[in-house]
Amino acid sequence: MSEIFNILLVQNTLRTATPVVLCALGCLMSDQVGIMNIGVDGMMLMGAFFAVLGSYLFGSWLAGILFTMILGMLLGYFYYVFSVKFKSDEFIIGVALNILAGGLTVFLLRTLFGVKGSFSSPRIVPLPTLHIPWLESIPVLGPILSGNTLLVYVSWLLVFLCWVLLYKTPLGFHLRASGQAPEALRASGVNPDRMKRIASVLCGVLAALSGAHLSLGYLTMFSENMSASRGYVAVACVIFGGSNPPRVFLAALLFGFIDALGMRLQKYIPSDITSMAPYVVTVVMMVAVVLLKRRKPSGIKPAAQ
Amino acid sequence: MSTGFLQSVRTLFALKPKQKLTAQYLLSLFAAVALAFLVGAGIMLLCGYDPITCYAALFKGALGKPRALGNTLAKTVTLCLTGLAMSLAAKAGIFNVGGEGQLYLGGLAAAVVGARMNGSPAWLIVACSLLAAMAAGGAYAWIPGALKVKLKVNEVVTTILLNSAAIYFCSYMANGPLKTAERGIESGTDSIASYAAFTPLIRLSNLTTGVFYAAVITLLVWYLMTRSTVGFEMKITGTNERFARYGGIRADRLALWGMTLSGMICGVVGLLEVFGLHHRFMTTISSEFYFDGMLVAMIMRYQPFGVILMSFFFAILNIGGSAMELSAGISSEVMLIVQSVIIFFMAAEGGISEKLRAGAAARRIRRDARRAGKGAAV
Repeated sequence: MSEIFNILLVQNTLRTATPVVLCALGCLMSDQVGIMNIGVDGMMLMGAFFAVLGSYLFGSWLAGILFTMILGMLLGYFYYVFSVKFKSDEFIIGVALNILAGGLTVFLLRTLFGVKGSFSSPRIVPLPTLHIPWLESIPVLGPILSGNTLLVYVSWLLVFLCWVLLYKTPLGFHLRASGQAPEALRASGVNPDRMKRIASVLCGVLAALSGAHLSLGYLTMFSENMSASRGYVAVACVIFGGSNPPRVFLAALLFGFIDALGMRLQKYIPSDITSMAPYVVTVVMMVAVVLLKRRKPSGIKPAAQ
Repeated sequence: MSTGFLQSVRTLFALKPKQKLTAQYLLSLFAAVALAFLVGAGIMLLCGYDPITCYAALFKGALGKPRALGNTLAKTVTLCLTGLAMSLAAKAGIFNVGGEGQLYLGGLAAAVVGARMNGSPAWLIVACSLLAAMAAGGAYAWIPGALKVKLKVNEVVTTILLNSAAIYFCSYMANGPLKTAERGIESGTDSIASYAAFTPLIRLSNLTTGVFYAAVITLLVWYLMTRSTVGFEMKITGTNERFARYGGIRADRLALWGMTLSGMICGVVGLLEVFGLHHRFMTTISSEFYFDGMLVAMIMRYQPFGVILMSFFFAILNIGGSAMELSAGISSEVMLIVQSVIIFFMAAEGGISEKLRAGAAARRIRRDARRAGKGAAV
């Protein structure tokens, strides 16, 4: 038992949860303004590719992150133009974006690097790992909290920042209003479309960053379809986290835990079954959340006669 | 039923479907296809290929030889059935994005039953496998359908997640408990009896007698959606749910049935892959076939007739793409990019044409105003 349940498991949980956390935060932003973004999976995949590309071309992880963020902004803006300006079905655009991502990354992989399947090179510079000396001296927490890659810490910070942005600032208020009552917002003199644009671009950047963590933090390579439906898991996390950053964070951590546990159990259970687990658990969680909500009495009580 | 059915067959052959694919929509479709091909040509030029050679290779590779045509038609069948599966569910008010998983499970069930029944008459094997495939696909679609109808759990997300679960499960089965003992087979189940497998209609191509099963299913779905009471109920529920509820139509039951039937069709697609091509279940029986079909259905607005035609076009792009890679040298993924551009434009069709019309109207008003202003000055 101690071979499976140890500090390494917690470390792995944090590491595997991070892409889902980042992606879910992006998806949540988009969800708050009333745009369902199924395309985050494709954004993640393209982000992973462009992070590797930037890092490879300039020999610096910073360039990789920069590439990814610019790509994310463009993708987010693209999604906004199609879903809001052209009033397309978000679902179709999202699925098409995922197909485009699959095609484009493989195409670029073959045309630019001349390889099939996956690309790794010593010239790709991974994200740095942060060692915090005073944290490391703490007995149990030390090894868990210290020694992670940069984006792990960034994702924790972003959970907090997203929460502050959405619930404690005027901009956040406008963002939420543009999803819930766009007409009221317009009447108060703020253009809801502008809010949607901001949220969609943020969503693109966050989703693309989650890809950068996959290809520069978690691994140091790009492989075809490496997002492996994690974007959809992020969408599921947003749904059962009720678009609230801390709750979505917990949901993503749970996914990471199941994923990490599965990887450690591979010695005893066939790997296909352990890979299946996170998806099944996510579905079960979605059902559980609905059932739990049902049992709880609703907050609004009928007015007394 | 019988006269209605005959009439519908006659209508199908007369090729006069009354569907809401307006002339304007079809015009936009042509424009989108042309634009997408231009984008593709741009990419080819950027990569140093000659677009005309590439596109010539594409069409020649898809339609040039009987064998190529056979492969294209076989691909059309797959796209068409998956597209119809999507349409059926969508028309019933529920999205089935989990067809890929249903397809895998259907294929696995068909292969297992087909292999176990070795020795029985061919028709019995096919019939039992068909039932097994439909049961597996249908049951796997019923789960997210029931969750949606009873508990309001978002079916788009659950079906996508269940896809991954089913694919891993099938991979486990094909490499684990059900792995064949045959030599030289890396992964896969026992093969089905060779006399029960579908025979190729065109030599060396993927087009087999399975196409007749597909035709029957297509006809049934088309009848169900456009000529039956259920189809009428779907139409009403789709256009005005409240009215439908007052009329006594149970939308939730309709959605659940739509989802289950959709899953059954996907299961049969899995069977067609097993009995037609691989003769055993392998984890490579599909590579996101369902998603291609789903997108075809979406851009044709879930109209059965349009789905059939568009499937053929997408099959050309798909089969021709691989041939293009072999002869012209450009990676076949460029066709995936072309396909997604078509989809982007078609999804935005309403919005873009509205913007264009509004722009034209504004220009006209400005021009008239200018003219009026000039008239006043003179």
